[in-house]
Amino acid sequence: MALLELPAKRKQKKEAAPEDALTGTPRSRFSRHLVLCLVGLVMLYPLLWLISSSFKPSNDIFRQLGLWPENWDFSNYEQGWTALNQPFHVYLINSLIVVVFSIVGNIFSCALAAYAFARMEFTGRKLFFALMLGTLMLPGHVLLVPQYIIFSQLGWLDTYLPLIVPNFMATNAFFIFLMVQFMKALPKELDDAAQIDGCGPFRTFLRVIMPLCVPAMATTAIFTFISTWNEFFGPLLYIQNQDLYTVPLALRAFMDSEGQSMWGPMFAMSVVSIAPIIGFFIAGQKYLINGIATTGLK
Amino acid sequence: MKTTVKFQPRRRAILGAAITAAGLALSGCGASATPAGGGGNVELNFVFWGDANRAKMTEAALRIFEEKNPGITVKTEYQDSGPYADKLATRFAGGNPPDVLNMANRSLLEYAQRGTLADLKSMPELNLDEVPESVLSRGTVDGKLYGLATGVTTIGIVVNKTITDQAGVAIPDDKTWSWEDYAKFATEVTQKTGGKVYGAGYDVATETGPIMLARQRGEDFYTEDNKLGVSEETIRDWFQYSVDLRKAGGYPPAGFFEQIGGSPAQSYLAKGTVASQIIPINNFKGYNDAVEGEVVLLRIPGETSAERRGYSADPSMLWSIAAKSKHPKEAAKLLNFLVNDSDGAAETLTQRGVPINPEVAQSITPKLSTDDKTFVDMMAAIQEDDLPPAYVYPKGASVVADTLKQLATEVEFGRISPADAAKTFLEKSNAAITK
Amino acid sequence: MSVLTKQAPGAAATLAAPGDAKPRRGPSRRTNQPSGYLFLLPWFVGMLFTIIPFFASLYLAFTDYNLFTEPNFVGLANFQAMFEDPRLLQSLKVTFIYTFVSVPISLAAALLIALVLNRGLQGLSIYRSVYYLPSLLGGSVAIVMLWRYIFGNDGIVNGFLGFFGIQGPAWVTDPEFALSTLIVLNVWTFGSPMVIFLAGLRQVPAMYYEAASIDGASKWRQFRSITLPLISPIIFFNLIMQLIGSFQTFTQGYVMSGGTGGPADSTLFYNLYLYQKGFTEFEMGYASAMAWLLLMIIAIFTAINFIASKFWVFYDN
Repeated sequence: MALLELPAKRKQKKEAAPEDALTGTPRSRFSRHLVLCLVGLVMLYPLLWLISSSFKPSNDIFRQLGLWPENWDFSNYEQGWTALNQPFHVYLINSLIVVVFSIVGNIFSCALAAYAFARMEFTGRKLFFALMLGTLMLPGHVLLVPQYIIFSQLGWLDTYLPLIVPNFMATNAFFIFLMVQFMKALPKELDDAAQIDGCGPFRTFLRVIMPLCVPAMATTAIFTFISTWNEFFGPLLYIQNQDLYTVPLALRAFMDSEGQSMWGPMFAMSVVSIAPIIGFFIAGQKYLINGIATTGLK
Repeated sequence: MKTTVKFQPRRRAILGAAITAAGLALSGCGASATPAGGGGNVELNFVFWGDANRAKMTEAALRIFEEKNPGITVKTEYQDSGPYADKLATRFAGGNPPDVLNMANRSLLEYAQRGTLADLKSMPELNLDEVPESVLSRGTVDGKLYGLATGVTTIGIVVNKTITDQAGVAIPDDKTWSWEDYAKFATEVTQKTGGKVYGAGYDVATETGPIMLARQRGEDFYTEDNKLGVSEETIRDWFQYSVDLRKAGGYPPAGFFEQIGGSPAQSYLAKGTVASQIIPINNFKGYNDAVEGEVVLLRIPGETSAERRGYSADPSMLWSIAAKSKHPKEAAKLLNFLVNDSDGAAETLTQRGVPINPEVAQSITPKLSTDDKTFVDMMAAIQEDDLPPAYVYPKGASVVADTLKQLATEVEFGRISPADAAKTFLEKSNAAITK
Repeated sequence: MSVLTKQAPGAAATLAAPGDAKPRRGPSRRTNQPSGYLFLLPWFVGMLFTIIPFFASLYLAFTDYNLFTEPNFVGLANFQAMFEDPRLLQSLKVTFIYTFVSVPISLAAALLIALVLNRGLQGLSIYRSVYYLPSLLGGSVAIVMLWRYIFGNDGIVNGFLGFFGIQGPAWVTDPEFALSTLIVLNVWTFGSPMVIFLAGLRQVPAMYYEAASIDGASKWRQFRSITLPLISPIIFFNLIMQLIGSFQTFTQGYVMSGGTGGPADSTLFYNLYLYQKGFTEFEMGYASAMAWLLLMIIAIFTAINFIASKFWVFYDN
């Protein structure tokens, strides 16, 4: 490896460069900004369109495609908030409950499993790992009915248990695999040093590995938030009581593909329901970038 | 369901452990939904498809039902039709079906032939005396009634009269017009608007069109013994008609329609890029609301010029009761209410088509909006004539619909000739139905 | 972090050699650690929800299960029928094209943008959020409408082309173009791999770059010699997950075609066809067999990648 040839005069005392330490000449920075802004517009467009549509009367949404509403209609929000069985904040809270438990469950259980897969040696490890990956490869649609039967036998239908409990049981192979890759990338010497310090595997996991995997956990948290918040099929199948509906189910209640959909209220509530995800991402991204580079592995 | 038993024996033990573990981690988190049922109270689970508007009207009717039937409460659930169908299938498969449910025409036979639905004729609580035979036949399989129309509707052509008036094109008399008349009219509209508006904008890929054409030609698209009865020639002509109309300019170019059959607000009629469209006529109000300008409702062409009448009073959807319902009596009472009770119908009006009990249909007429009255009046006028009978959709009807859609696109882009498309259509459809 | 600060200065030298791992094996690596099972305890319990349905579907693949009546064992009939099913072949074709075109493009885009958004500019957190937006919105019903309007006949793309006097095609409705449109859409939502890359880039100790620039290594050389090897496990992860996800594409095809896979089956993804078989035609036995065929296909590609990874992915063990 090329890096081996690096001479030993490397300085180790230095803190990692702060994230906004500028690189390049002002001119190169300007051109980077320019490109990023232009591409950013393309990225921003869907959100702008969504917000703009939420202020249009239902019949204008598809007739008048410009970003600036010709006729402003603020009633979509009021109407959308109250059109369903429950005021819309009930669905937001329902979703939030499921999301919070799912995040905690996923981080906790997937990190445990990932640590075992990534940094421990025991009989059957490879087999289990292959099995775990295998569950990722099977299309979910054929699992729905057996899963439904299991949850129905457990008496969990019409509760959030089918949406939450599996997350505490490391059933999400995506996140296990993700954390495995991050943990494998950490220097092996960490475990050895911890062992010399007298840490058992649990303390090594908690005190050494977990803190270094903050970006992976932030990623897990962000992804879990988004996927759980947007998940439609699970809640659709397992929840019957309309008062327990999550946001995606509630949003779909504005739709009738064979008749008249309530487009205006649906767009308004879509804006409302997207806000928490964006907020969470903005808040979460600073942990995303708090890796070794900034926590200072010296 | 037997399958549930299959997975059972070994599971119990493992489940015990799982529940305990889960319970420890999560006690108190999943609030149980079912309220404690009061003494002797029966709770019915009633599911249907639609949006929040329809749900509101339905709920209002159900409150009347609960008042009239103390001791029965109805818990509803509704979704858009796609997710509704997925959930319904899963619930039946999981042995946890709802009591009373909405059934689509094209799925009835699939469910009925597998013993999942109750025979409605065997239920004394359900009074069917006032329901015409032509309606009952649309839910009858092997002599048993598995589905009851929620209401009836059919298709018609809506024309944006503001546009045709501006263009100076007269709308022909829809009682006597032929398919050629419609083509001529459409082409003229395109010409006189300078190509800004296309005269015709119907969906070639929806099966209601060829079903109508087949009936006009004395064929049954779906026959009494649940087979495909349409001839290759009729399907070819159906495809050829739009190809010719496109060439003449009356029908938009290939690729023009991106989302036809969606909601009125998204329709090309509402956008003002087409002047006429075929719609289920119960949606007339929606189109009139969505379109700027005056919209008129016309009959399908060819009704008097062809061999026989193509129209039939079609169930917009069906009601069914699950064979495994724990409360069949109460479920039948609810169904009876939905069909025969004028007070209930006064809340739901024509949400699911014109009520099938003529007395009930009569009773709600004064409460209807002008547009919905137009729809009900047209439905009544159509039914005054002697209409040929129509039957339950066969198994595989959803494949037939998909095949038609697929081939319509191939024809649209000139990748296959109408004749070849018709041949393939019959082959694939027959294979799906006889499987 | 007491453990870390205590580390001898020499340890950093070994840190710098991600690929040079073989001679150094930690003592703990060799011994059997039964406590590993403890770490996996939740996972074992969770098998109830994953492995039981997993093998249930394997059993159903050999039956005529139709959702409503008891399944009957039919041997290999479902698998034989698959070979004579033209729509199945079409769905495989669609899925393979989609996977092999869109996975490399979106991975490259994600990595490139993650590198740009990693450091060195003001306002990066704003850019990161904006660039992740399309992925955030992906699940929203409303956004599906938007895609159709962007690529619609009178949509933005064709408006833009028209500006240059080009008559754009019917992106969504023409069978020749519908799949390409979906591929473009997919690249738009490179957000997820980008976020993972960003997290991975932050695992690379900054001192390597400092040392390298002191040595006068060029940016490109730093990228090749430091960044790439050190984030190679993350690249590998993204590659595998994108492959699996792409083979299992469902939602894009479902929403764009209203569940039909149209126009003319040009967006009939494998999973979409499987869903049609299982939930519209109620042939769940056949659908289960299809699922296991896909599993085998994905497993082969994954295995190839795992083997190949030995030559380009560097773990420190």
